[in-house]
Amino acid sequence: MKLLTHNMLTSHVKGVTKGYPLLIKATEVKVNEVEFNPEFVSRMIPKLEWSALVQAAEGLGHLHELPAELTPDYEKNEEFLKKAHRVLLEVEVIEGCLQCPESGREFPISRGIPNMLLNEDEV
Amino acid sequence: MTMMEEAASQLERDHVHSVYDKIAPYFNDSRYKAWPKVRQFLLDLQPGSIVADVGCGNGKYLHINKDVFKLGCDVCRPLVDIAWSQGHEVQMCDGLHLPYRDGCFDAVLSIAVIHHFSTKERRIRAIKEMARTLRVGGRIMIYVWAMEQKRRKFEKQDIFVPWNPNPHSPSGFKPRRRGATQSVSEVIDNTDKHRKVKSTSSMVDEEDITCSTPQQRTQRLWFFSRSLDSVFDFGSLAISRSSSRDLSTLSSPTGENEGNKAGQLGRRRSLIKQVSSFFSPSSMISSEEDVFGSVTDLHKGRKDAGGTTCTSSSTENQGVSVALVQECDSMALPDLVPYQKEHLKQTGDKEGDRDPPGKEQEQQESTQSPLDGEGQVDGSCLRYYHVFREGELAELIENHIEELHVTHTYFDHANWCVVAEKIQQVVDKGNYTSFTCPVLALNITVESLHCPLQQ
Repeated sequence: MKLLTHNMLTSHVKGVTKGYPLLIKATEVKVNEVEFNPEFVSRMIPKLEWSALVQAAEGLGHLHELPAELTPDYEKNEEFLKKAHRVLLEVEVIEGCLQCPESGREFPISRGIPNMLLNEDEV
Repeated sequence: MTMMEEAASQLERDHVHSVYDKIAPYFNDSRYKAWPKVRQFLLDLQPGSIVADVGCGNGKYLHINKDVFKLGCDVCRPLVDIAWSQGHEVQMCDGLHLPYRDGCFDAVLSIAVIHHFSTKERRIRAIKEMARTLRVGGRIMIYVWAMEQKRRKFEKQDIFVPWNPNPHSPSGFKPRRRGATQSVSEVIDNTDKHRKVKSTSSMVDEEDITCSTPQQRTQRLWFFSRSLDSVFDFGSLAISRSSSRDLSTLSSPTGENEGNKAGQLGRRRSLIKQVSSFFSPSSMISSEEDVFGSVTDLHKGRKDAGGTTCTSSSTENQGVSVALVQECDSMALPDLVPYQKEHLKQTGDKEGDRDPPGKEQEQQESTQSPLDGEGQVDGSCLRYYHVFREGELAELIENHIEELHVTHTYFDHANWCVVAEKIQQVVDKGNYTSFTCPVLALNITVESLHCPLQQ
């Protein structure tokens, strides 16, 4: 699970109103090399919940000077975009779980795949 | 959970989820090419878009357009594993409960997925869920199997389709004339060659046994079902008295409260189980693609050159087919009525005797329940589909999903296709529905006339 994906994921347990962002508890993290596409990254940024991204990266120990706030003109700041690229696309949680911030329910991540299936009573 | 919900859920578990779990290892990407129009939809997206492929299977659309971020999800773990091994971002979830925040996607794909939901209400909910995750202005593309095919039309909309891991290559077709045997296919010959599966028993005739492989025979089998929606609508039921009594006690509001609830639960489960248990032939039969291929080539002989995993003898296979029919005939099923029986009731069937010779003998064999095969790969491989009529999908969206507006509808390779745009964000607060009107940039709250999720 990449952090870009994590940014979209939310807990959808019945009754939960604040299921976002999910807390990452990782037991295995990988960093891959992914081809850098500055336009792609720059267009992705407005679609993100930036603070959730920062929080997630920090939790994994992979913040690496990613700014807590977006600066104006970030689209042209290649150094910033590279940092964003790394955090969004290169850091990957292979094993662990995602925890609902409201209910505490844990969704397992195994072999890179979060299992967000709910049980009958959570639906 | 209502009984309807439970039945629907169970049906999908048995005849969608567990089947895909079993057949996932046999899925071969080269057999299933990306539909060109889906490919184009993805290629037309703005760079930096985020797209979700809901029901992504083994991820065959996830590699298209490297300038957009794609994620896929599916209930089937083995398929999702395959997608991940190809380097894609995928999650496990179910289509009625998507784990994504509101409005986070620029586009959503639903390719050959919602036809697996067994009730209209669930199909609507699935589309609503996807619409929820779309941003305003975002687009969704939905493909579903069409009832109307090029050279035939499914007689009914709710069907069970067998699966075969070894598809025949198109070049293997050989035209073959039918002999004098009484069979539905003969009747079909006489009626404009339109595919009409009337009765499963009619598929088993002597010519078939001698001239075709087990796969060829059983390939042509699929089973018509009533929709679960109609099962719970007693006005339209045509089943035996005893089971309709069963059903009415189970479904009526008072019925559920009175009497022995545990007994009723047990009966209800066993009714549902009976339906499931009928669909476990001991051999794997047709591929998804081949259902269409074999249907249009009903009159052509086909040799399965590739060898198969089927180890049953032809007699046993025949016994299986007949047994299935026998079971259908003798047991009153809540949602599966053999077409033959129903057809006789409704139209005064003029076709001749369909019973193949030697049927008595097969009856004997069939009592040994060749229907076991649970736990083996080749059991229970019938997938449930609700095939869509022309216009049905677009109507469903226009009438029930206010946040989507249909922009394109077309027919593509045996599918009905719809592209729709998200035009407003709907937040349902019980009796009040709030809209964000993008043009006026206003928040509008209106008292709902009805709860959108109830029919």
